[in-house]
Amino acid sequence: MHRVINNFLYSKKYAPYIFVLPFLISFSLFFIYPIISTIIMSFQKVYIGSVTFIGLDNYKRLISESFFNAIRTNILYTVLTISYLIPIPILIAVALNSKLLVGRNAFRAVLFLPSLISIIVSGVAFRLLFGTGEFGFVNSLLQKIGVRPINWLLEYWPGMFIMVSLACWRWSGVNIVYFLSGLQSIPKELYESADIDGANSINKFLYITLPLLKPIIIYVLTISIYGGFAMFGESFVYWNETMPGDIGLTIVRFIYQEAIQRNDLGYGSSIGIVLLTIVFGLNIMQLKFFGIFKKEQ
Amino acid sequence: MNSYIKKGLLFLFFVLLGIIALFPIYYLLISSFRPSEKMFRSGIVLFVKLEELTLKNYRYLLTDSGRIYFYWYRNSILITAIYTTGALFLTSFVGYGLAVYNFKGRNLILTFVLFIMMIPLEILMLPLYRLLITMKIINTYQGVVLPFIVSPLGIFFFRQYATGIQKDYIDAGRIDGCTEYGIFFKIIAPLMKPAYSAMAILLSMRSWNDFIWPLIVLRTNKMFTIPIGLAGLLSPYGNNYDLLLSGAILATIPVILVFIFNQKYFVSGITIGGIKG
Amino acid sequence: MKKKITLGVVLLIVCLVTTPLFAGGAKETKPAGGVTKLNMWVFNALHAKFYQDRLESWNKENPNRKIDLSIEEYPNVEMHNKLTLSLQSGVGAPDLVDININFFSNYLKGDIQLVELNRVVDPVKDKFVQSRFEIYSLGGKVYGLPTHVGATVVYYNKEIFDKAGVDFNKIKTWNDFIEAGKKVQAATGVPMTSFEVIDQRPFWPMIVQRGGDYLDKDGNVVLDSEINIKTLQAMFDMMHTHKIAIPMPGGATHREEFWPFMNKGGQACLIMPMWYMSRFLSYMPDLKGKIYVRAMPIWEPGNKRSVGIGGTGTSVTKQSKNVNLAVDFLAYAKLTRESNIKLWTILRFDPPRWDVWDAPELLAPDPYFGNESVFKVLLEVKDEIVSPNNKLLSAAAQDLVRSQVMYKVLVEKSQTPAEALKKAAEELRKRK
Repeated sequence: MHRVINNFLYSKKYAPYIFVLPFLISFSLFFIYPIISTIIMSFQKVYIGSVTFIGLDNYKRLISESFFNAIRTNILYTVLTISYLIPIPILIAVALNSKLLVGRNAFRAVLFLPSLISIIVSGVAFRLLFGTGEFGFVNSLLQKIGVRPINWLLEYWPGMFIMVSLACWRWSGVNIVYFLSGLQSIPKELYESADIDGANSINKFLYITLPLLKPIIIYVLTISIYGGFAMFGESFVYWNETMPGDIGLTIVRFIYQEAIQRNDLGYGSSIGIVLLTIVFGLNIMQLKFFGIFKKEQ
Repeated sequence: MNSYIKKGLLFLFFVLLGIIALFPIYYLLISSFRPSEKMFRSGIVLFVKLEELTLKNYRYLLTDSGRIYFYWYRNSILITAIYTTGALFLTSFVGYGLAVYNFKGRNLILTFVLFIMMIPLEILMLPLYRLLITMKIINTYQGVVLPFIVSPLGIFFFRQYATGIQKDYIDAGRIDGCTEYGIFFKIIAPLMKPAYSAMAILLSMRSWNDFIWPLIVLRTNKMFTIPIGLAGLLSPYGNNYDLLLSGAILATIPVILVFIFNQKYFVSGITIGGIKG
Repeated sequence: MKKKITLGVVLLIVCLVTTPLFAGGAKETKPAGGVTKLNMWVFNALHAKFYQDRLESWNKENPNRKIDLSIEEYPNVEMHNKLTLSLQSGVGAPDLVDININFFSNYLKGDIQLVELNRVVDPVKDKFVQSRFEIYSLGGKVYGLPTHVGATVVYYNKEIFDKAGVDFNKIKTWNDFIEAGKKVQAATGVPMTSFEVIDQRPFWPMIVQRGGDYLDKDGNVVLDSEINIKTLQAMFDMMHTHKIAIPMPGGATHREEFWPFMNKGGQACLIMPMWYMSRFLSYMPDLKGKIYVRAMPIWEPGNKRSVGIGGTGTSVTKQSKNVNLAVDFLAYAKLTRESNIKLWTILRFDPPRWDVWDAPELLAPDPYFGNESVFKVLLEVKDEIVSPNNKLLSAAAQDLVRSQVMYKVLVEKSQTPAEALKKAAEELRKRK
């Protein structure tokens, strides 16, 4: 018996499978099983103590205004956050990397700080700042310069604005650190030889910095798309009660609302399956464009 | 002289950015020292009058509110600790396996890992929730921790790190008569110490601030984590801002402290993951 | 390092094994020294105060059946989500729970997880406003006990009307209301009123008072009825043609943005149910003595002058290990004469038991509300108070009105009243 155990412990044949076992268990229990189960539930009507197959009804119901609003909001939110969260942090990182800046590490720390704070806590702060009516902080500033107070939480674009600002405020610091470490890994000689060729700083940025930052830009892009489509916290902290006319309704929020608030697990599952398909599609597209998976293997 | 002006301007620019970054936190901080009734009668102001400042909200949070806040704090700390310890162990184990062995199905598994990394797991919350019911771990720490403990990000990260470790160490271990697992525990794990620190910070931050999943799993007030408890104070039927604001500030302090003392690991933690991608 | 890791693993295992010990402490029911532990969820801090008071007198009167009631407060939507999840999963639900009428119909689907309360209701049923039981019933079985009638009234800010030289006592119809509003607006620059745009008041009472509703008596969708369309159009005109009403700051009467607005005299009157008196008292201290309560104006002769809107049905869940005790306590707290008087004195709720309506406590003048006897208003319209139909689709219907119809018609103006109501009605019919 002892020898069997010893053989097993020393065997290079079994070892890799033992090593990956935790992943395989977790993968099948908490990923494969739920996906299959979601697919099944999406064809059912699920109440306490009664489950009935209703064919494609849940999917037919999906063709509704709210669902398209949710997808639109997700896409807009993702595009807007990315169009801020990539270029601006790159520029800030370049400035932060400058030898001329005094107190670099302190500034990096300060800029990083917002990302450490829970979405609920920072959301509460933003909710107070962007209070509707004339009592909110931003509105009282606007009034001083003669602008009508804005109903931040009651209109679509202002609502989108405060969701995007919250995300940008929280994540800029992280992206700055990403880009900063990318900048620091670019060999100094490249810049030195460019100097000899008489290149100005804009050219150096365009022809050396940007191309060499590409892998990091792709990485940040990937996690931003992921974050954009998984967004829930911003929506929840601003509109935890009712939400006027679907402003702030994202796909994950829609799942939560239909499945949990309105007690319809089947319908919620069908939304989940569609979201899964969208994200899967986006990933395949990325794989085609950038080939990051290929490079990895 | 020119460079002094440049220096000054650059410095000013970053001071401005710093103010933007810190302003909401400052705002929360001063609001937490104001009586909450004031906030609703006269709206919200930027600079509080000194005589208006009060510790009432904090006193209420820590004494009068049935000490529920201490439960939330304890739950947050325990869940973060359990999750981080478990995830570090499991993901480094798997990541190492994927890095050093060449075996059938390795690429497939690696693809799965990357694939899950890209999927918002929120999609799966409904069946996961039903699974937890069957496993009878609703409203428990296990329920919050288990489904996500084998973090694909962690696996990916440790695999990247372990790939960079020289094979010689492993061969030497085999010659010394270590088992395959002994090599991992005795030789490789100590070598990966920087990776553990970086990942520990990353994972514990995530767990500390995690929101939607604990929101679904945890049922009773005494089991809530801080974000869930605080979100619960955003109630339309009762004015809980006194608890909410002071609670938010107290929840933020440990995170900031951890960050200040471990800045180095924070930065390396997020960059190692980034650069390799 | 190895030690650290093994330590970690051991710690992990210990934690995983022992967490059930920490977990879910809510469900132990140890009758220690004859005291039974019960727990209750409420979504309104004010209600907790009421139950605390009722508990004390229960424990005095029933020394053999003492209760140790722990009341937990959760935010409205969150509490109901948790209740849904707990009832579905069979664990974690409380013994007693306050359920908002907005959600009540959700819990009457499938296998009903609430305890039938006819045992305690039937003996006293005839002393109550019947419709307040009906809204918490299915097939003749009562599953929740009412907390108030919720009679809708108009709260006038006398200071503003005096400034404008308008007498609100003369407002009898909604046309009078519009004319008075124009004068108030012209004289003071203050809008007559504001409408909820992320909630459903005063739309709901305004349609029900003239015979409209979201669902009919059999639960069919009638949300897009002629009456409803006409009423919503009238509300739209008040806002955009006559310019006497505005969208409510914050969007609803429960938002923190609205309280300071109303408190500072931002609008001349508010159309809300009687239970909103408690919010005046807690959140609008500056209006003390200026607020006068009157019955609703009407659209056309024959309309009702009040509508019971909102409500909290208190229920016992089947997960309770002490169902009988919980039901008895609930009956004591909600059905007795004394408790109904307390509903008024503690919460300023109009009690559903009408045989207390002429009790001296209820008729006492109230210094906040113009030093008048507010309850006289209720007695005046006593026979006119109708309630909306609360059928299976009600939660979904209210949800659609709150989140879509009001906003799209009144604020965004992207849909006409007819379009928005038809669309919502179709969406509802799909859910059947």
